[in-house]
Amino acid sequence: MALTQRENFEIMIKGGKPEFAPLLYELYKACMLATNNTDQPWKGGVDPFGINWVATVEGVIPEPGKILFDDIADWKKYVRFPDIDSLGIEQMAQMELADFTDEKRKEQPVAVFNVCGLFERMAALMGFENTLCALIEDPDSCNEFFEAMADYKIACLNRYIDIYKPDVIIYFDDLATARGMFMSPKTYRELIKPHHKRIVEAVTSRGVIFSQHTCGKCEDILEDYVEMGVRIWNSAQVCNDLDGILTKYHGRLLVEGGWDTSGPASYMGAPVEAIIEETKRCAEQYGKKGNFILFPVIMNEKGNAFMTGDERIPALMKTWHEVNKL
Amino acid sequence: MAKIEEVKAMVEAGKAKLVPGLVQEALDEGSAAKDILQAMVDSMGVVGDKFSTGEIFVPEMLMAAKAMAKGVDILKPLMAGDTSTSLGTCIIGTVAGDLHDIGKNLVSMMIESAGFTMVDLGVDVPHEKWAEAIKENQNVTLVACSGLLTTTMPALKDAVKTVKDSGLTGFKVLVGGAPVTQQFANEIGADGFAPDAGSAAVKAVELVKA
Repeated sequence: MALTQRENFEIMIKGGKPEFAPLLYELYKACMLATNNTDQPWKGGVDPFGINWVATVEGVIPEPGKILFDDIADWKKYVRFPDIDSLGIEQMAQMELADFTDEKRKEQPVAVFNVCGLFERMAALMGFENTLCALIEDPDSCNEFFEAMADYKIACLNRYIDIYKPDVIIYFDDLATARGMFMSPKTYRELIKPHHKRIVEAVTSRGVIFSQHTCGKCEDILEDYVEMGVRIWNSAQVCNDLDGILTKYHGRLLVEGGWDTSGPASYMGAPVEAIIEETKRCAEQYGKKGNFILFPVIMNEKGNAFMTGDERIPALMKTWHEVNKL
Repeated sequence: MAKIEEVKAMVEAGKAKLVPGLVQEALDEGSAAKDILQAMVDSMGVVGDKFSTGEIFVPEMLMAAKAMAKGVDILKPLMAGDTSTSLGTCIIGTVAGDLHDIGKNLVSMMIESAGFTMVDLGVDVPHEKWAEAIKENQNVTLVACSGLLTTTMPALKDAVKTVKDSGLTGFKVLVGGAPVTQQFANEIGADGFAPDAGSAAVKAVELVKA
């Protein structure tokens, strides 16, 4: 490779033909500690809103059976927004960027994570079923809540941008299941999108690329994402028509994912042969499109290999580099 | 009997506040409690089909289930002791190592709407608890095991094996969850598989009536 990760990525973002299709493990300087303090503790514990997160192999989830309130009309009684200055964002950035020199920054884009988006936050506070019913039963209160939560998100993201000076913000909000969206696209557009859009614009207006992480079958709202200014869709899973999406949105959206997260290569203890096969499939099926970034999901007993590392990753990387993608 | 048709329509529409009053009006009009119940079950069948085809989404399905539950509350005192409409008891839970419950809860609501009495074991259910629950409850006709994660698919296999090896009889085993396929369900010896909450209710009835 003659180009650095940064140079290659910048070509892709502009809709050009890159030299290689990136592998997520190599592409970014990924910064994940600030959101640990502002949103959701990665290893479990109580978040700034009082929700206790339980660590599982696949990540943290709100403690089952524990909610702060069950009626969205009561949200103001229970939700207290923390003072941004008290959340230790600066300290987290110092830790994560301590060894990241200016020279390294020239070669590698910086991506800062921000997890637990508007919908997920509501679900964490009042449970999934109450949240989904609230969207229909009390849209006005939902709207008030989303507006206030978006204000908090924007304040946090502006602080991230001030301190980390990132190239990319990756904002997480899982709005879909494996078979389709949690709510109708109409409900998303009426209730969540206006506030989601403010968050996107707060980031892009500062010259930072917005990456939207949404797992599941969310292809029905990808046009909405692009229209708002989202430039990368993360965790693009195979339940979506990825071939069609890569073609349709070429030049407007980078697709980060591709891995069959429900298939044999993502089973616990999957043999390296299965991982090599899945890597080759992704390279051959998606790599040549020019707007694809591979995001593998390899599980081991400690969790997701992206966070924990894994002895099978070298084989994956070797295969990815060897397959002629472009 | 126009009121019973209104009950059906309002359950489908998820109008939880209207259904109890309409159920009472249907009773006052002379409709039998079990006919009104069946009408609501039929409505939920329509809701389940619409969910499976993507015409409606989880919130609409939840509201319909809530509406039916409110209607059933009116009928319960009139049907106490009458088990003729029940399809039996369904034991449901998420398997060991898996803490996710939203899918399992949706399936539970839909299976209950189809006419089962539900016993929900919750999440992270140890293997031995499945057989214990079958022994502890009467007229168990269905065991429904949910697993959302690829990492807990082995636990799903073990749960089914534990139940099948228990020596207990009189029930079928239904499995589901995001990574579960018909092929996997066949491999682990389950009696049935359903890809979503709507079709789970249909499959549940099919298995028990077979």
